[in-house]
Amino acid sequence: MIYADRKQAPMPSEPQRKLGDEGGPSKPDIGRPTAPNELLKRMKNVDPDQAKKYRQRSGQ
Amino acid sequence: MHRVALLLLVSLSSTPDKQTRSILAGIDTEYGFTIEGRDVTTQADDSMAFVRHSPDEGLPMWDYQSENPRRDMRGFQVSHLTADAQDAEFDRGRSRPPAAEERSDRALPSGARFYNDHGHPEYATPESWSLADLVAHEQFGDQVVLGAAKALSQKMNRKVQVYKNNTDFHGASWGTHESYLTPRNHVFSDLASAIIPILIARQVLTGAGKVGSESKGPVKFQISQRADFFVESMNVETLSRRPVFNTRDEPHADSSRWRRLHVISGDSNMHPGCTRRKVGLVKLALILLNQDRVPKWEIPDPVTSFQLISRDAIGEGRVDLEARSWTTPRQILESYCDAADRAEIADPEILELLSETRTLLEARHSNPDNYWPHVDWAAKLWLLNQFADSEGHWEQSAMQALDLQYHLLDQEEGLYYGLSNAGLLRGADVQPSSPLSPPNGSRAIARAVFIQNFPDQIETLSWGQVRLKSGKTITLDPSLWYEQSLLDVESIEELVQRLPQ
Repeated sequence: MIYADRKQAPMPSEPQRKLGDEGGPSKPDIGRPTAPNELLKRMKNVDPDQAKKYRQRSGQ
Repeated sequence: MHRVALLLLVSLSSTPDKQTRSILAGIDTEYGFTIEGRDVTTQADDSMAFVRHSPDEGLPMWDYQSENPRRDMRGFQVSHLTADAQDAEFDRGRSRPPAAEERSDRALPSGARFYNDHGHPEYATPESWSLADLVAHEQFGDQVVLGAAKALSQKMNRKVQVYKNNTDFHGASWGTHESYLTPRNHVFSDLASAIIPILIARQVLTGAGKVGSESKGPVKFQISQRADFFVESMNVETLSRRPVFNTRDEPHADSSRWRRLHVISGDSNMHPGCTRRKVGLVKLALILLNQDRVPKWEIPDPVTSFQLISRDAIGEGRVDLEARSWTTPRQILESYCDAADRAEIADPEILELLSETRTLLEARHSNPDNYWPHVDWAAKLWLLNQFADSEGHWEQSAMQALDLQYHLLDQEEGLYYGLSNAGLLRGADVQPSSPLSPPNGSRAIARAVFIQNFPDQIETLSWGQVRLKSGKTITLDPSLWYEQSLLDVESIEELVQRLPQ
């Protein structure tokens, strides 16, 4: 049963998004505010390969 | 009373008391960590050492007698829980110490617990009636873990870094779990029907965000860190074949009266506003269940729905329903808020949550600058897009490095703290609880009294019981209200006499 008070939207002919969709997010409106230079500098100092090196055991 | 006026009042009152409390809840968080010169093959032993170096005072004990993670809410028990195959490879040839030694439990003076769980340092908050208390204790957990990391770093003379996230970008995941005290008398299917839509939908307001995917095809950015790792709608497993709805039946209380809803599908949040919202929305669903006012959503494929929402950072997200219809996470969340308007809710924090939920859902697309400062995944995406703009391109592996850095528990280098310290976030200013303060009103007060005042008289303890060396066992009823003044008692006899019955 569907929630009775809720408007039912029709199924579109094509799904809006599919698993594996490579479109990804587009840039949001970033007119304001902007990241301060200090924060961008902090980001530039990050080892760009650190995620490749980051290995962990599975947990729960 | 008109709702606007009511909300104005509750925003001044803030936390629930003995009369207005609703659902008891707790959070346990597994942390990722790295040690300079070490790797994942030594992580199981390193995590044990990590916890053992904690400078926090606490009792090195925990009682597992009443715990059984193999029992399923649906009325059966599995013979074993499936281990992760990759971890089994890491453990090949390793001699494991006895379970209690490996866990290295610390029962902390606040009523919290710090231990090693499957190679991750894990901090479990004391159970809390109030969302504010719970978030403060969850934030204190970060301090506990950092204290242990610092001590271990000094001992080993190696750099130790801690990450509060749930994915290593190589197929491993670890959890942040929530626990909710739930009456046993609910029919299981009613409980699942009340909770699953919220678990699927809440990620748009609570997800931690993730660059890329580990199992479901390429994507630039996801809302949820955990979505890739769910393969079944419901089961009792947590290490493999992870479900959206976990059916573990381990109440840590009188099992004839209580269940503990064990939620494993949430992300670790850096933003305390997300932590508060994450727990608050499940509490809302449970309150509605208690009053038989849960909106009816039948979602035939919760796993796919969870994953589709996670992959739709730009759109509204989509949840397929029966009969070729569909809905959105926003509609689901608003339906719970609408149902709450017709329910009797005294908990002021839940009433505040309704207003915040509606405001954020409206702002997500109409006014993003009033949305992303409140929500981890959106704040992370905003920051990554700023960086991509400054660099002129989005490079996936470098963005994963920045994603990881968002979760680094380091005020000087971590990107979440960079955002927070720059004043760009909202609702993120939370003071961690103090080491000796259990949450207001909860049974953790009684546990804390035993640990703080009578440590030499404790044989062992757990969430629901304290066994004394005298042979006496004291059971702590989680549904009762415990007064803070218990912390001042001077004898066990006085404490036992003053415990609520």
